[in-house]
Amino acid sequence: MSFEPKILGIACNWCTYTGADLAGTTRLHYPQNLRVVRVMCSSRINPSFIFRAFQLGADGVLVGGCHPGDCHYNTGNLYARRRLAVTKKILEFAGLEPERFRVEWISASEGNKFAQVVTEFTAQIKELGPQQKLKIDELLEKI
Amino acid sequence: MTDFKQIENNLKKEAKKLLESAEVPVVLAYARGYDDKHPMPFAAKSVADVEKIVFNEYCNFNMARYIMRFPDAAKIAIAAKAADSRALVVLIQEEKVRREDLVILGIPASGMKDPKTDQLIDSRTTGGLYNPVEYDILLGEEIRGQKIASPYAVLADYEAMDKEARWAFWKGQLDKCIRCYACRKACPMCYCDPCFIDQNKPRWADKAPQSPGNMMYHLTRFHHLAGRCIDCGECSRACPVGIPLYLFHKKVAKECEEMFGQAAGMNLEDKPVLVDFRVEDSDQILR
Repeated sequence: MSFEPKILGIACNWCTYTGADLAGTTRLHYPQNLRVVRVMCSSRINPSFIFRAFQLGADGVLVGGCHPGDCHYNTGNLYARRRLAVTKKILEFAGLEPERFRVEWISASEGNKFAQVVTEFTAQIKELGPQQKLKIDELLEKI
Repeated sequence: MTDFKQIENNLKKEAKKLLESAEVPVVLAYARGYDDKHPMPFAAKSVADVEKIVFNEYCNFNMARYIMRFPDAAKIAIAAKAADSRALVVLIQEEKVRREDLVILGIPASGMKDPKTDQLIDSRTTGGLYNPVEYDILLGEEIRGQKIASPYAVLADYEAMDKEARWAFWKGQLDKCIRCYACRKACPMCYCDPCFIDQNKPRWADKAPQSPGNMMYHLTRFHHLAGRCIDCGECSRACPVGIPLYLFHKKVAKECEEMFGQAAGMNLEDKPVLVDFRVEDSDQILR
């Protein structure tokens, strides 16, 4: 059986989530590996979400927010940009695969971009294979 | 090399003056521990306490750690070496303490030693500064002409490692962690109450000293100190199992400095980089 990755998508309510809706209503096809969680703003994303997602078995994490300058709350994604950049550097220096974590700015009108990013990212994760380094051994988790 | 005896005398003199004036009820400094090699943090609260104050090459503790323990004190005087003064600057930036409530007794010091190994503390394990960046009274001669090595030079070997080797290294190191939280206790920036690791709702990580919880605790802690860590190296010296935490903190500090052009705790006017932004930050930092 081929490897079907689990990808966590964290999407901002105003842009990326609406963009995903648009991709749906325009009947665009994209891989079903993405599980989307809606948050009100990309700056609501605690970097621990990302570490925790990897621990609980995600093979990739995709964060979507408004384009800088278009944030519904004016400056949220500008804070998020700095914060998530640091997250990426931490993953890199710990020897994890920073490619498994991706941040994209997708606006509400970019259904096409959403479908394209998800397709691309899923292909990339499939190539990388399962994420084993941070994943918690199931037995250990039950204790 | 710093004349430690002279600094100790100056420290006593200034502490006495401040406590006598009754404007400053607490002077944070060092006292003798169970031997000369193990001094301890000390809060002098009366003129009689002043005699107990010591200063020698083993007085490493970052005294900024204790600044929030005295909410009733109108003013606090604090003996601050270079790293301590940077920590104070960050705490002032974060509005944990007000500049006007502090009397910073700056100590220029080189030749500090780690009591565990007796090795010199220099830019390999710390920010490598000798003079305090912010002070009211300087207790010794400013140190000039010291060779300044980049505090980030030590990272080169680790950056050159390939990904798998680096993962093996950090996993090996962090698996040793016994979760005593000495790093958190020693850190002047770790003042959250409750710390994320002590929260039960949500429970961010397992509390058992096993690999997954350790990984979560340390990765998140590295993140929480991004742009705030002032590279005093106290976390690593406090660590009973010898995890070189300072390496990771240095790396994060280096990346922050490169991406955002600002080192932590160097200037009272700055804001810590992660509570600030520039519209012109590049999206390239996310690649």
